[in-house]
Amino acid sequence: MSRSVLFLITVGTFQCFLAPTLSAVDFEQDVLPILEDNCLFCHGEDEQESGLRLDRRVSMIRGGDSGLAALVPGKPDKSYLIEVINHVDPDMAMPPDEDKLPQEQIDLITRWIQEGARWPGQMEEAAEDEVDLWSFQQVVRPEVPQQVERDDVGKPIDAFLLNKLEEHDLSYSQPADPRSLLRRVSIVLTGLPPTPEQTKEFLAAFASDPEKAYTEAVDRLLDSPHFGERWAQHWLDVIRWAETNGSEANLYRKNAWIYRDYVIRSFNEDKPYDQFLREQIAGDTMGVGEATGFLVAGPHVPAATVGREPAAIRQARADRMDEIMQTVGASVMGVTIGCARCHNHKFDPISIRDYYAMTAVFQDIEFGSRHPEYSPDHPLRERGAELWRQIAEQRQQLKQMGGWEEDWGAYRELHFKPVSTKAIRIRFKMANVFVDELEVLGPDAQNLNLALASRGTRVSGHPEKGFETRNPIQRINDGDYGTMIWRAQVEKDEDRPWVRFEFEKAETINRLRVSNNREYFYETDYLTKKPNLPRYEFDVDVMTDTGEWQPWVGTWSVNKKLNQEHPERKKLLDKIQRSIACLSEEGPRPSFVGRLIEPEITRVLLRGSPESPRDEVFPAGPKMLGGDLDLTSETSGPRRRRTFAAWITKSDHPLTARVMVNRIWHHLFGNGLVPTTSDFGNAGAPPTHPELLDWLSAEFTEPTVSQRPAWSVKSIIRLLVLSDAFRQSSHPRDSALKVDAGSQLLWRYPPKRVEAEVIRDAVLQASGVLDTTIGGKSYRIHNEKDTYAQWQVTDNHGSDTWRRMIYQERMRRVDDQLFTAFDFPDCGQVRAKRPVSTTPLQALNLMNSDFVVEQSELIAERAEKEAGGDEVKSVDRCFELLLGRAPDADERRDCLELASASGLPLVCRAIINSNEFAFLP
Amino acid sequence: MINPEHLSAQGRRLLDRRGFLGTAGLSTAGLALTSLLDADGLLASDTQTISGKPPLRPKIDPNNPYAARNPHFEMPAKQVLVIYCPGAVSHVDTFDYKPELWKLHGQKPPGIPAVTFEGPTGNIAKPFWEFKPRGETGKMVSELLPHLARQVDDFCFLHALTTDTSAHPQGENFMNTGFTMEGFPSFGAWVTYALGTENQELPAFVAINDPRGLARSGKNNFGNGFLPAAFQGTDFTAKNPPNNLRRPAEFSGEADRGTVQLLKRLNAKHLEMYPGDANLAGRIASYELAGRMQTSVPEVMDLSGETESTLKAYGVEGGSELRGHYARNCILARRLLEQGVRVVQLFNGSDPAGGNGITNWDSHSNIAETHAMQAEIMDQPTAALLADLKQRGLLEHTLVVWATEFGRMPFLQANGTGRDHNPSAFTCFLAGAGVKSGFSYGESDEFGFKTAVNETTVYDFNATILHLMGLHHERLTYYHNGLERRLTNVHGHVIEDVLA
Repeated sequence: MSRSVLFLITVGTFQCFLAPTLSAVDFEQDVLPILEDNCLFCHGEDEQESGLRLDRRVSMIRGGDSGLAALVPGKPDKSYLIEVINHVDPDMAMPPDEDKLPQEQIDLITRWIQEGARWPGQMEEAAEDEVDLWSFQQVVRPEVPQQVERDDVGKPIDAFLLNKLEEHDLSYSQPADPRSLLRRVSIVLTGLPPTPEQTKEFLAAFASDPEKAYTEAVDRLLDSPHFGERWAQHWLDVIRWAETNGSEANLYRKNAWIYRDYVIRSFNEDKPYDQFLREQIAGDTMGVGEATGFLVAGPHVPAATVGREPAAIRQARADRMDEIMQTVGASVMGVTIGCARCHNHKFDPISIRDYYAMTAVFQDIEFGSRHPEYSPDHPLRERGAELWRQIAEQRQQLKQMGGWEEDWGAYRELHFKPVSTKAIRIRFKMANVFVDELEVLGPDAQNLNLALASRGTRVSGHPEKGFETRNPIQRINDGDYGTMIWRAQVEKDEDRPWVRFEFEKAETINRLRVSNNREYFYETDYLTKKPNLPRYEFDVDVMTDTGEWQPWVGTWSVNKKLNQEHPERKKLLDKIQRSIACLSEEGPRPSFVGRLIEPEITRVLLRGSPESPRDEVFPAGPKMLGGDLDLTSETSGPRRRRTFAAWITKSDHPLTARVMVNRIWHHLFGNGLVPTTSDFGNAGAPPTHPELLDWLSAEFTEPTVSQRPAWSVKSIIRLLVLSDAFRQSSHPRDSALKVDAGSQLLWRYPPKRVEAEVIRDAVLQASGVLDTTIGGKSYRIHNEKDTYAQWQVTDNHGSDTWRRMIYQERMRRVDDQLFTAFDFPDCGQVRAKRPVSTTPLQALNLMNSDFVVEQSELIAERAEKEAGGDEVKSVDRCFELLLGRAPDADERRDCLELASASGLPLVCRAIINSNEFAFLP
Repeated sequence: MINPEHLSAQGRRLLDRRGFLGTAGLSTAGLALTSLLDADGLLASDTQTISGKPPLRPKIDPNNPYAARNPHFEMPAKQVLVIYCPGAVSHVDTFDYKPELWKLHGQKPPGIPAVTFEGPTGNIAKPFWEFKPRGETGKMVSELLPHLARQVDDFCFLHALTTDTSAHPQGENFMNTGFTMEGFPSFGAWVTYALGTENQELPAFVAINDPRGLARSGKNNFGNGFLPAAFQGTDFTAKNPPNNLRRPAEFSGEADRGTVQLLKRLNAKHLEMYPGDANLAGRIASYELAGRMQTSVPEVMDLSGETESTLKAYGVEGGSELRGHYARNCILARRLLEQGVRVVQLFNGSDPAGGNGITNWDSHSNIAETHAMQAEIMDQPTAALLADLKQRGLLEHTLVVWATEFGRMPFLQANGTGRDHNPSAFTCFLAGAGVKSGFSYGESDEFGFKTAVNETTVYDFNATILHLMGLHHERLTYYHNGLERRLTNVHGHVIEDVLA
């Protein structure tokens, strides 16, 4: 920053004495030769290093990859060209590896720009803002192709697919057998295979009316509460949502799971997708505060690990903003917006300005916790309001007897008689004090901290620099909770620590809040050392009008003296403490769904560096997508997000619907129509069936075939699973494999190994122990740990873990020693699709883990019981429970052999490991 | 093709066996050999890279993701050993000799920032150990590492390394994954992805964690990030086998064999319905491999056949308990390399939670004592390992990388007895196949505070290591979320000067 300021000054003075004395610069005579000799070899017609051309006026104005205009006519101080030839930044000094241009040449170019950069013959040319990227074009609903070969095609999806197959002389495979079909559709829709009973029922119904049986099964599955669990899992993958921060301490994010439940609920309710997105971006303004967990789904580095260097602190904030960009870009927009963080996107029409304009939308978001905003009829909020009424009444009674202190866990709040004063002083009675924030509040606003430095309140005290001069007192009124504290430690014979606040103007105050690490209390859990707030003893003085200190209140007087004077207070104090405890359990709880802060002015960061802030940008979407939102730096944070959310969910937004229908397609068929599901840009793969993609997108926003409302996810899913394409057999055909080995054109239903969750859930369902409760706090498989220790798996198989795996605490980069080997994401980077790999570690885990050993025993036990102890029937039952079918004669014989030699559990262990169990048929 | 002369006896034997699919009787040659990477429908020829150079994505047979694959170009190194020292080793107290520090001891010359990572700064402190010239090259090395010092003639030091962060977890991420952020594939995963491995009976990539536990970035340091899980490091030590390696105690050997037999039959029957399906066959093969690992891993972990003199040289006895454990890990590392394991990553330090008072090289206070405790664990066993590799001829085709995430400051922390993090200059060294020996590249300034000559970024460092393994760092890519991702992001230059 200092560099550019300095630079502006030089250019400024320089102009003053040049302009009036010299005649106009002639471009062709004076400027062009300099460019030709020094610049055009790398930035000309043949080569455009850094995407920059200096042989056209319009490309000079547009600038190169840096996103800065090389030329702003009339404004040398805004023209990046001038900056680089002046060698303002030694890392970006031009021409490279050579001496600076002679000063008179620099002067000439500067003057030329100053005079309007007249360039004969090119003054009329304007930059063309043309985008030819297919995904940035409006969706136009294509005609459904007519199928002449088959007259039974009624479904548009099949029409598109068959059309394409015919081009390759391919056709659909036979319909899948009903048993496989039910297994497939059950797993794909709910993540659970059918139970033996469901299979039996379905087969019977299918025998009499296949169409009806299948349609009913699909509708049953879509209505199942497990549908939301399955589809939430996909959504959480894309945004790499997890319940820990990542980074060194990898701290647990307290109550973050309420967002996971929100996602499950939304899919189950078939919440229109546009509303789903709006809530996740601006749910705090819509009474669904928990939905903003979306924005802070990515990892972040907590302050203690960032360190204390100001540049590192700025970098960490920029990194957090980038995580938000990645989340929104990958999940909603299908655009790798993060590529434009340091320079214009190399492949897609997204500029560095677009990137920072989009960060401006989210400038009021910080990684952390808050009390989620719930709608007034939300049960938590209603209960909270009731408890608050109780607390208010109890406070009224206490007030009659003087001050008192409340313990809110995260902080203690001292209440006292209101007083108007310009300054207060807090004198501690102990030698050791740790305070992250000391807040002074008044009777008018519940949470307005009058001591905040940003309000103009000045802080002083002793020891001012804190322990080892590293813990300054400014931290107690900087508005930041957490590990950055004022740590006061004084010798026994020294003055005790004290703090003094001077307000801008006299304020009426009646409360003090003291905490030492509110961040850890609110935001994290499962640490061996619980955040613990010592009971600090202190006295408070207020400044009188005449400038003298007047003792006003103290902890001893409210806690000891008043209690002695009013023995009846004790009961009341106990009561209010109970209400407070109740509130923190039964009312809205602080949850890791993002913290809201005041947005600051957003600037383009040259080369992505927070140390090189440039032009101010206003909150907006990418320009080439028509993202101007008509907002400014003055717009409030929530309004920025709300406006952006409205823009991104416009029904004619070219990306939003396309990206989502493609994602649905990917999860149903194993591969998207655009295989790169989170990159619809030039570096991604083009759609295999562009018309089909657009038809589906149009159908999503303006339904014609289904009776459901617009943006219904279930409706699109239903359409797809009812297609013939979905109902085909998955068996290979040599001739087709030769043409399309990856089954991309869908001449068969492509088989695929199921995900970690499906394996685990299916095993638990087979043994009959699966707890199917929807939602709630995650189950833990880890220990409690020291702040800077690694999580250890303590129990990944016991009965407390017998829930669906989506409820397993999602830990960033922690191996669960079981299913991580099955490509379960590490939640570090967005995971638009999981790779499917095969490794011997998977085999070892599935053969030898306690989980499988125990479950094998439980399944065998169940089978034996249900078979009435009959050996053959027991084997058959194991097959039904795990594979949904009976064994054939050979299989039965082999299983009986092992069962009688070594026990039925080993048969179950073998089946759990079999390919049939692990693959989607 | 790999030149068999460069391989150990074991490696040659394995090569002769021509992979394991033949033995498993499940060859599906000719069918659906689409690599995992083509799953996105992207061909190497039609994707774009930042460097403009077309990607060289390894062709991965899903039947056998670990099959040995050719490097991009021939280089002597076929295997790599990374010795990683978490916590940041003080370069000015070990390998980067700065006489100025004795002169300026106790002073605070201009240019020292007011605040570094942990807070306010103090005065210059001379190294806490004396330096002496070593070996024929006369390289100055401190008394902190007397054993490694004896071998400096084999090392190639990089004295002007810089990193982008002064925080450990991000620094570890950067060194080991090429990015400070979470979720990127580790160096070992990239190499495994590129080259597969010679020995199909052991994991291709083994991470030997410190006896005190994982380093601060945990699994990131050896994880697969967004690469397929097949390429992650398998994590075990001389003491603890990989998870779930052993047959459950509940089941007898016979019962276990019975399960495997039944599983084979079930799978064979199922495969009949999907003739030639590579994914199914690949999964069957992975069980065969797992079965062999159950024998080969305990074998390689069993140090009982090691001679008395080997145990002594490595310092298994006679030092601290931690040194004993680490020394055993060093022997394990050698045994793995002997067996042809492609990547071995050995850690000397953990996160700050384990251990007995000292857990890694992070010496913010009392560096004299804490660095000494850590050095006692690292020095002798590591030196013995390198000497052993050399003596057995393994260094001829093994690259050794000794690394840490940043250096430490030439000055103390305010009112303190330790040195804060220094991201602007630090030292690592390379040794073995393809690297100059007895050589130093790059210089830090007269205090060891910042780089002065031939600044080397972490990108350059990683680009060079990949080059030494015969891989183009700009072309070894994996498509993820819109980009052909690389270990070196969009940066990095191979340091030609260090190539032998």
